[in-house]
Parts: sequence; C-alpha cells; structure tokens
Amino acid sequence: MKEHIGKKLYQVELGPPKQDTEKLLEDLELFRQKYDRVMDSGYVVGITDNAMGLMAFQGHETIQELGLRVIPEQVMIHLNTFHTKGNLHEILDACRDMGIRYLLVVSGDGSDRLPKLQPDDLGFAGVVEAVTAVELIEYIHREYPGVFEIGAAFNPYEPAEHEFEKLERKLKAGATFVITQPIIEQNAVVDEMLKRFPGLTVFVEAWMSKRISLLSEAVGYEIPEDTAFDPIETLKSLHRLYPNCGVYLSLLGFKTQYHLLHDTWA
Amino acid sequence: MKIVVCIKQVPASSDAKIDPETKRIIREGMKAVLNPFDTYAVEEAVQLRNRFGGEVIVLSMGPEKAAHSLREAISVGADRAVLLSDRAFGGSDTWATSYALAKAVEKIGGVDLVICGKQAVDGDTAQVGPGIAAHLDWVQATYVLKVEDASETGIRVRRMNEDGYDVCEVDFPAVLTVLKDINRPRVPTLKGSLAALREEIPVWKPADIGAELEKIGLDGSPTRVVKTAPPPPRNTVTRVLEGTPAESVRELVKDLRTRGIL
Repeated sequence: MKEHIGKKLYQVELGPPKQDTEKLLEDLELFRQKYDRVMDSGYVVGITDNAMGLMAFQGHETIQELGLRVIPEQVMIHLNTFHTKGNLHEILDACRDMGIRYLLVVSGDGSDRLPKLQPDDLGFAGVVEAVTAVELIEYIHREYPGVFEIGAAFNPYEPAEHEFEKLERKLKAGATFVITQPIIEQNAVVDEMLKRFPGLTVFVEAWMSKRISLLSEAVGYEIPEDTAFDPIETLKSLHRLYPNCGVYLSLLGFKTQYHLLHDTWA
Repeated sequence: MKIVVCIKQVPASSDAKIDPETKRIIREGMKAVLNPFDTYAVEEAVQLRNRFGGEVIVLSMGPEKAAHSLREAISVGADRAVLLSDRAFGGSDTWATSYALAKAVEKIGGVDLVICGKQAVDGDTAQVGPGIAAHLDWVQATYVLKVEDASETGIRVRRMNEDGYDVCEVDFPAVLTVLKDINRPRVPTLKGSLAALREEIPVWKPADIGAELEKIGLDGSPTRVVKTAPPPPRNTVTRVLEGTPAESVRELVKDLRTRGIL
C-alpha cells in the first residue's frame, strides 16, 4: 500500500447494492460503471461490507457476478466480524482465487439479521469474550499465510489512549496499513498516531459528501445541517496537512467530483 | 415434504401513517420489506425441505409490488411463489385474509405444512396463521421456538407459552407459526437474488382459488376499527452519572441491579 501513496493513487470507497433494493439490476450497472472508472484511473477501489449495519451484497460476489476485472493492486475488500465461519471462508477463498490482495479488516457495524463470528470459530475460545478486528486479522494471517495484505481502521474520535492500544494490537496481529475515520481538518489524535507509529502506512479518510452533518455520528458531536462544506477544498488541505499519508475517499460524487481528482493531489 | 410459507410485505419504517378515515395504513409511497418474522418461517421451511426433500412455496396476498418480497424468499431458498392480488382482496381483515390464503393452499394442493411468522409487524395481530388453520380445519402449533424432530408424517415442536414451553407432536397437514428463536435466517446472496429476479410469479385472482367474493375484501371482513391512537409517550428520564469511568460503571451496574434488569 505504501507505493500507492508514492504514486499519489487514491482509494475510492464503493458500496455494493443494498439487499433491499427494488432496482437491483440498475444498481449493479451503476456499480460496474463506478468500479470500471476507478480501475481505469489506476486508483484503488475499497468495497464495503454491510457498512453502517445496512444489509448489502458482498464485494467478492458482486465482482464475480458482474465479471469485473480484478487488478490485484487496485482492489481492497472490507471484511468485518459479522459473518458465519463458513461465509468468512467463502469470502476469503473467493478473494484469494480472484487474486485480490488487500483487505481492510474492521470489527464492523452489526445488524440483528447478521451472524457474528464467535471466539470459538477462530480458535480464541477462552481467550477473548468477543471477536474484534484484532482476532480476525490474526486468524486470516494464520489460515491464509502470505496471501493478503491487511489494513485496519483507526478512529481518532475514540478515547485516544484506548485507540492507540487497539492499534498496537492490530499491528501486532499483522495489520500493515491503517485507514482513519473521516477527518476534515488537522486532527491532534491523528498527528499523535503518526508520531507514535513512524513508518506506518496511513490513509486519512476524506469525507466527500457536501452533507457534512452526516458525519455527526462518527465524530461524536452534532454538526449542524446548514454547515457549509467544500469537500474538494478540504481534500486539498488534507494533502497539505498530511503529505506523507494516502487518502481514502468516502461518498465520492462520480458525476460532480471524480473528474476533479486528477488535479487535486498535485 | 410440501411446505407453504405465508409471508407479508410490511412498511419498512415504524412511522407508518394511518388513513384517518379508513383507519388503515397508507401504503402508497412507503418503502416495504418482507415482514421480519416471516424470514424465520422461510428459513425453517428451507431447512425442512433440505432435510426431507420436497418443495417450498411462498404465498402472499397484497399489491403487485409484494412480488419483491416473494422474490426475496426465493433468493434464500424457496422454490417458487404465488401472489394473490386483486382489488377484490383489498380491505381484507385477518379473517378474510386467512380465508383467501387457505383457499390458495387448497389450490396448491398436497400441502403437508403451512408455516407463518408469529405475526406481521404492521398489524401485530398474530391471527392469520391460526386463521388459516381454522379455515383449513388443520391442527396448528403457534409460537414455535424449536423444531425438535420431524418426519414425513408429522413434526414435534417446542412452543412458547406464558409459563415456559410445551412440546407438541402434530400430524400433517398442519400449520405452524414461528418465533425468532427458531433459527437464524440465511442472508441472500447476489446469485440467489439474480436468480429470483428471473423467476416468474403467477398472480392468482379470487376466481383462481375459488374464493367466494363475499368472504374476501371489506365484505368478508367482520373487523371494524373504530378508533386508532398513537401509543402514549414513554416517560424516560436521562441521568448523567458523575465521577470517574470506574465509578460511573459501578453506579450504573448497581442501578440496573436495583431495577432488576441485571
């Protein structure tokens, strides 16, 4: 992943169609167009796994069903802990077989319709009470040695020391890169993380929706709905503030923003 | 084993609006989903079919867009679906609905078992499953939380009651209504959902199932809703616990224990 930063390649988040969509074929076509555009740009596509606990189809099956090309350096599948063991292996086997190299492993947002991996499933019975990203990272490296390069999440809005301690464990488990929660300005906790973990490959997440109020839940305080926000200008400022970090783009507007990206990371 | 699962498409949100005149839910423009309890019914039927062979047919009565929920059931393993849809069915209460569904079960023919979710989350009556059993004059077991054993001729289930549970053995043909405890429904795959999209779903009218018109729709519905009102607001009190995190947690645990929650 480090080389992506050197080559100034963005990571672009895409969500597969939702399970409850009433226009599945149209949604799949839209996904295909966006995916192909990211591939053509040489950027990395990051495909979410039931983001926000909203049931969606899986990234690997969407790629398979649509017959999308997989360029190993350009595809990252998100994987959370809300799966059965069988389903987890199905995903990992498919990713391996398709040549997908990057995984972003997160604890994830559950839903009452989603199963949750149990410690016993991953060989952690009696060791931990619940499976988190740490156990999942360790398990994947154990079961699929040398197959995947795994990233982890970092949340600068959680109590900092607790988050640093979690990050230590994620790195010890085998994570080699980190993606932050969205930041919109210089962030003291991210700064501290860069200081404490020199050499770590870090991607800061840039919030590309104009509706900055939607970020309230992530940052833990209310952002008024009428707050003015310019995502492209903010993205440019993140590049200035964090020149050694890569950038992960969430909620990117493919019609209005994508064409501006080329000149943003100058 | 031939199993029919009766499902319902319900409003997706809990803020459904009620027509003040008809006292019915305004469904137009509202996002609709498969009734959550019905997903457990479908899963149980698929598991039984996988064990004993046979067929799972999902059945629903509603507008044409209810086909979307039928397809969802097919995407997780049901073999085929039937939709009852006609203006004449409109306004049916639970009695008329269960009559129409029972007639459709008869029309399907050779059915061993009908499985329904405990209730629909919009009406919350839990009457349709028992109503189907009554119309068909079949044995029923409601509030089933576990299938203990099954064979080609009958099923032994654990059903919840107010004091615990009963273990019942019922011979086929029978009707079950199931609780969420019974299983964990599988998540649809994209392949399954795409296959379900291609599935043709027959739409049956009253004449197709031999339903008497005076027994369906408003005419066939003895229920009259005379008044609807929102539930009273809950009296909630917000309390901020002072002190260090450890002190706050101790205080919280103590408080929850005092209230009998822990």
